[in-house]
Amino acid sequence: MPLNVLVLHCKNCLVTYLCLRSLMVVKHASRDLSIFIEKLLVLLRDGRKLLGLLRSFDQFANVILEGACERVIVGDLYCDIPLGLYVIRGENVVLIGELDLEKEELPSRMNPVSEAEIKRAQKAEREATDLKGSMRKRMEFLDFD
Amino acid sequence: MQLFFSYFKDLVGREVTVELKNDLAIRGTLHSVDQYLNIKLENTRVVDQDKYPHMLSVRNCFIRGSVVRYVQLPPEGVDIELLHDATRREARGG
Repeated sequence: MPLNVLVLHCKNCLVTYLCLRSLMVVKHASRDLSIFIEKLLVLLRDGRKLLGLLRSFDQFANVILEGACERVIVGDLYCDIPLGLYVIRGENVVLIGELDLEKEELPSRMNPVSEAEIKRAQKAEREATDLKGSMRKRMEFLDFD
Repeated sequence: MQLFFSYFKDLVGREVTVELKNDLAIRGTLHSVDQYLNIKLENTRVVDQDKYPHMLSVRNCFIRGSVVRYVQLPPEGVDIELLHDATRREARGG
């Protein structure tokens, strides 16, 4: 039985239906199946970087990531915070990148740190930029660039 | 919009630089483009590598059309005569 007929038959069972439909997506949209096996990097509009396995997508670039984690980078420190299964609305997606397994994911100068440490570093960085912003505001009357 | 779509389709296989609205600039070979002007690039490299370390190992990528600010084209990819014709045809209504 062709796959699309089978999908119609299974419409009353949601789980089977979804499984088969995602199979159809794989069959039609992707000649290159590797994007479902490899880890992907998804860049969001707010600058967040999510890593995970692609499980499904559609024409709006809505994306489902399995085993997703957020990679927080502050200076030379980084941390992968595990998140689980993520459904990302397409409008927030900037870019979806395939990672090259042969290459290092990050430059060798970067050091992995714990979640608590990266949160602290993130906070410090945010306070520093806030301070810079308020200083600039106070000095605005000097009219420099 | 059709005009830009077909124009970008002609550019497939060429080296372009895509600048995004978040100032990230990516250079790569144009692999494909669709009606929303979503872009797929191959053999990508980020122009300012040091500022975006997380992009180091990204080889191929999909860019959502709505976040693109500029696409820098190769000079030999611009055929002015052809574009003139196409725009006139568009203005006349197809």
